[in-house]
Amino acid sequence: MRGWLLLLLFLSAFICLGQEAILKGRVIDSNSAVVIDEVIVSIDGIAITTLSNSDGLFNLSRFKLPQGEQVLSLFKRGYYQIRIPIIIQNGKVINLDPIYMEIDLSELETQIGIISLSEEELDEDEGTSFNVSGLLSASKDAFLNAAAYDFSSTFFRPRGMDNANGKVLINGIEMNKQYNGRPQWADWGGLNDVQRNRHFSKGLKANDYAFGDVAGTTNIIMRASQYRKGGRVSYAAANRSYRGRIMGSYSSGLSKKGWAYSILLARRFGEQGYQEATFYDANSVFASAEKKMNNQHSLNFAAFYTPNRRGRSTAITQEVRDLKGVTYNPNWGYQGQEKRSSRIRDVKEPVIMLNHYWAIGEETSLNTNIAYQFGKIGDTRLDNGGNRNPSGNYYQKLPSYFLRNENPSPYDFQQAYIAEQEFINDGQIDWKSLYAGNVISGNSTYAIQEDRVDDTQFTINSILTTSISENILVNGTVNYRSLKSENFAELKDLLGGNGVLDIDAFGPGGEESNSDLQNLNRVVSEGERYKYNYELNASTLSGFAQGQFNYNRVDFYIGLSLSHTNYQRVGLYQNGYFPEADRSLGESEKLSFTSSGFKAGIIYKITGRHLVDVNVGFLSKAPTFRGSFANARQNNDIVVGLVEEKVTSTDISYIFRHPIVKARLTAFYAHFEDQTDIGFFFTQNALGNDETSAFVQEIVTGIDKRSVGLEIGIEAQVLPTFKLKGAASVGQNRYTNNPNLYLAGDDFGTEGNDISSQGVRKVALENYHVSGGPETAIQLGFEYRDPLYWWFGLTVNYFSDAYVDVSNLRRTKDFYTDIDSQPFNDYNEEIARDLLRQEQIEDYFLVNVVGGKSWRIGKYFVGFFATINNVLNQDSRTGGFEDSRRASYRQQVEEQNRAKPLFGNRYFFGNGTTYYTNIYVRF
Amino acid sequence: MLDFNLNEFSETMITTNRYKLITLVFSILVLASCVQDNAFDTPSLEVEQANITGTEITMRALNHLLIQEQANNENSLLTFDEADDSYIAGYVISSDQSGNYFEEIIFQDKPSSPTIGLKILIDENPLYITYEFGRKVYAKLAGLTVGLDSGVLTLGIRDGNGLGKISAAQMTNYLVRENEVAEIAPLPITISEFTDAKTSLYVSLTDVQFNRNEVLGINRLTFAGEKGDLFDGKRTLEDCSNNITAVFSTSTFADFKGVLLPDGRGTLVGILTKNFFGDAYNMVVNDPSAISFDSTDRCDPNEIDCGLAASTGSIVLFNDFFETQTINQPILGNGWTNFIEAGTETWEAYSESGTNASLGISVRMGSFSSGDESSVGWLITPQIDFDEQEGETLKFKTSNSFSDGSTLELWISQDWDGQEATIISSTWALLPAAYIVQDDDNFGNWAASGNVDLSCIKGAAHIAWKYVGSGDKAYDGTYELDEIEIESN
Repeated sequence: MRGWLLLLLFLSAFICLGQEAILKGRVIDSNSAVVIDEVIVSIDGIAITTLSNSDGLFNLSRFKLPQGEQVLSLFKRGYYQIRIPIIIQNGKVINLDPIYMEIDLSELETQIGIISLSEEELDEDEGTSFNVSGLLSASKDAFLNAAAYDFSSTFFRPRGMDNANGKVLINGIEMNKQYNGRPQWADWGGLNDVQRNRHFSKGLKANDYAFGDVAGTTNIIMRASQYRKGGRVSYAAANRSYRGRIMGSYSSGLSKKGWAYSILLARRFGEQGYQEATFYDANSVFASAEKKMNNQHSLNFAAFYTPNRRGRSTAITQEVRDLKGVTYNPNWGYQGQEKRSSRIRDVKEPVIMLNHYWAIGEETSLNTNIAYQFGKIGDTRLDNGGNRNPSGNYYQKLPSYFLRNENPSPYDFQQAYIAEQEFINDGQIDWKSLYAGNVISGNSTYAIQEDRVDDTQFTINSILTTSISENILVNGTVNYRSLKSENFAELKDLLGGNGVLDIDAFGPGGEESNSDLQNLNRVVSEGERYKYNYELNASTLSGFAQGQFNYNRVDFYIGLSLSHTNYQRVGLYQNGYFPEADRSLGESEKLSFTSSGFKAGIIYKITGRHLVDVNVGFLSKAPTFRGSFANARQNNDIVVGLVEEKVTSTDISYIFRHPIVKARLTAFYAHFEDQTDIGFFFTQNALGNDETSAFVQEIVTGIDKRSVGLEIGIEAQVLPTFKLKGAASVGQNRYTNNPNLYLAGDDFGTEGNDISSQGVRKVALENYHVSGGPETAIQLGFEYRDPLYWWFGLTVNYFSDAYVDVSNLRRTKDFYTDIDSQPFNDYNEEIARDLLRQEQIEDYFLVNVVGGKSWRIGKYFVGFFATINNVLNQDSRTGGFEDSRRASYRQQVEEQNRAKPLFGNRYFFGNGTTYYTNIYVRF
Repeated sequence: MLDFNLNEFSETMITTNRYKLITLVFSILVLASCVQDNAFDTPSLEVEQANITGTEITMRALNHLLIQEQANNENSLLTFDEADDSYIAGYVISSDQSGNYFEEIIFQDKPSSPTIGLKILIDENPLYITYEFGRKVYAKLAGLTVGLDSGVLTLGIRDGNGLGKISAAQMTNYLVRENEVAEIAPLPITISEFTDAKTSLYVSLTDVQFNRNEVLGINRLTFAGEKGDLFDGKRTLEDCSNNITAVFSTSTFADFKGVLLPDGRGTLVGILTKNFFGDAYNMVVNDPSAISFDSTDRCDPNEIDCGLAASTGSIVLFNDFFETQTINQPILGNGWTNFIEAGTETWEAYSESGTNASLGISVRMGSFSSGDESSVGWLITPQIDFDEQEGETLKFKTSNSFSDGSTLELWISQDWDGQEATIISSTWALLPAAYIVQDDDNFGNWAASGNVDLSCIKGAAHIAWKYVGSGDKAYDGTYELDEIEIESN
């Protein structure tokens, strides 16, 4: 305590001795007369900035202020920027109280734009699109804005990183899933009105809440007292993922007695989105209440529940796209008059949290949070009991199948034509025939299976923030998280049958085919678990410490993190293929990982207009659940060669800040080591043998990747109403080594994998591109903001250098070896090279327009906002992947020689022209 | 102090007076459009009465038209004109529910006492969910082609000089369901009555069993789950009344392929068909419930077992080391009867050196690569009189070469008259005391039989080595035999 006093004395003495000018003020909302906090206050051309506090007050007196005529600039998102000419003289006091800031309605509207990216675009879990855009929020950075608004629909990943490399926090609590490290956006979908308050830190830059991760960290603040008083009702209409969204919210603001509350109700719905039968059915509820007990303590309660059901679509081959178009979705069929989807994602994971804010003196605060999340994530699919896949696009129903052999006969052409007509005219699931089959067979041959992950998670953390001096801010956190994840299949719908016999339809029959030897030949009813059933338990204890140092010329930070993670699988079924003690039933070996991180960065202000920003980070991460167990649905086997992932990341930026032109140029480099990837598929090249077909888990470990490139963002306020902007990212994202691969599954005997026969082999991935969006993205655009409250913007976006995801199995020795492990006698290296060349997706342009208008009617603000994406209806492919079904040289040669491949690459096709409109009333 | 006062909180709520908003939002939520519901009812699955016009012809007439076409125009196929309005009616007797049938249905003219059946090729799986067992179906012939496919009468789409499958999309145009599902009464027949005319009929075989080598002992076989089963698992059915055997075939894609064969004796209900090449009869079942082998009292051959003798006598009654035989020629002379019961292979002499060496000149039989559906060969000694002396013994040596799918057995008959024609109908008993080389014995070694004691046999008898194999299976190999000696005191 004495130390603090001394420090304060010293500081005040310093101020007195300097006889510096005093420049302070208070900022007030011109409409509501409420004070505004977190207004960025700066003096043009000089690297001095401060923020207004919760009473709207700011004070620049601690800085060494330049003398004479200066321009004081006040900026806050959602308000018109204010620039006030002032004259600074030593010893003089300038107290600007009040300064009125007016709400910039159009600015508020642009914030809605980002929200039009719905979470199923963010949560896309098949293939390549782990979109990082959800991390970003409207910001002052031209590049990040471009990435968030215009690049996001193409799977563009800033710096090639997917969202497992970014952290999402809500009130300081990490929301990324332990299963795959990715945030589950649907868990807070439709809460837009109450999630505007975000702190985003780019890359590993200093963040007050967490160590973060290399793609950035967003903390969403959902605290009742932090919402502006007022309400808002809005309606959105769109043709992307949902057709309509209605949302109402109200926040009380902090009452005189220290209470605040906030509520939100929203519904998003649609019979189908851009693609057929992708229905959308989501409700969102949020409630928060906060009591400010005194100047030191505040207690906030927040709860949200966003049940979300939607019909899913899938990637399709070029042949299918050519016949049915980009809106085709094979996952549905008519049942009666209704389009019924077989693949429904159902997310219901409510979150409850309690946040305690404790201001320990002027300079120190301690924020303690407890969160509890429970519920389910379910994905349904059609269990076809070992019969032919009833999907309309099953390969044996497509024209290519009938023309697969050389010199097709007239009969083959006839059959191909019939199949083509059938596919064009129907091409969907025939639900009625599935019911008919079940009624005939008694026990259901066909059923709807729901793959479930029911997580129950408890998190507690404490975040300490203390200013050691005016210049030094120290953050520290301690986190504990424990998770019980129940994973199982549930029989969702018997489709008219009496029950499902719980044995593997692809198995040899007999005891071995049973899912659970504890319950032989069990007949399962609706709502019961079957096929697989296990728990994963995880606990993580982590800590983080960071110092931020801010000086006139230099700001820098340094951060450290340490964490310890435990995983264990507990099998609840004794799988027939793995009956040994503790192999499938009971507890697995306990996995334990210790990981750490270090980061540091510096901003050097050459002048107020020219800044250099350098950041470096080294971190290790525990593998995800998903990457830790070789065949979690069937047994306790641990991935062979499992180690922590290592990441090295660095970037250097030049920032130019001019009253008219703002620009940033960044060079980035990131290297990932020892990543693990597990895929699940059916292959006709198991055990290095053309004759052996198997469902396999493909385990690839020790994957190294490197992402390197440049980012540029520039905007020029040519006129007060007219802004030109440009952004570009040019980079390369490649594999830098040949990682290890083996296959696991129930077709490999009691070992459960093919290591004894095939060994752990290398995948020749080095120099292949990591798939996932274009490596080159360029934007040019403008914005016009009319003083009469309407505005318009247009961007032209160019994308290129996107690559399909390559099949790992095709790049192992399994590709070129025959059954005796010797190379095929007809192996031709030239042809092989051609077969293994990574497909580059063609480049394309997208033109997007956005515009809006707002009115003020008495106490009400009314606004309208619309975007049209891909105005020119440009065809595009946004990503794709190779198939590992036909993974040998001979099989690929055969595929190549066909007029159309049977198992060609599957693609994600970009939407045609889509719109999103929103109208709201604010009061 | 932490001081909660909920009254203050509710005050805050009331003063803001925004109930209207909440009410508004709720009502909008309720009104908002509904989307796909979770609950779907089972749709109506009634099959309506078929609306079929044209001329009904019988299946027999259809078969006759084909025979005429073959005789008059030397065409193997007959294609019906698109304008043809004739159709046939029949009842489905196959089911692909268990995966033993694939992309075809078998269809006969009447639910009971059928007279003819045929196969229809359809490019769809599964079919039982549309054309279930017992369903009456009309097949419109316009555009279809009739012919023989794997030796049985078949309807499909012409593909050059063969028959292709009806596409899934057109299946219901050609094959119209009637709203009748009949009880199908199997036609009782015996193996000896198998004829082409009875193929594709739903038949029952009474008093049959699987061969003892397939179901008795530790190596009891599954329907089609053995490592040698390629496409189909072929098993041997025996008629207890007359020892005649038939091939019982199960697809390796059947979901019961891994189920053990029933080891009793009784009735089997299935469909008579032919093998892939159309040159042998096969019995096929829709699923294992068609087999009711409830009786444990099997009709296996008698065994004569005097055990093994400690030593052999000094008098040689019969012996042959085959050194005088001609290599690669069938065994002749020395009183041998070398009889081919089935197939093209026979017992022949050979000489080999190296790891799989013969004993000088030895004899062997194998059906590997023969192309035979079934290879059965007997090598029978001349008649031996067991009353003339005491202490008779038999010894010989056997070796194998990849013989997993085939068998070699030692038999004895006391009533065979020495004529080839009566070999099968004579009474044969096994001599189980002899050790015959086993599948897991090394192929290079020769196994000694031991001194098989024959002293308990009365009267005269012939001793035979009988090889059984089937050549279309890659695993069917060869048995080698040598150094046969029958001695007495």
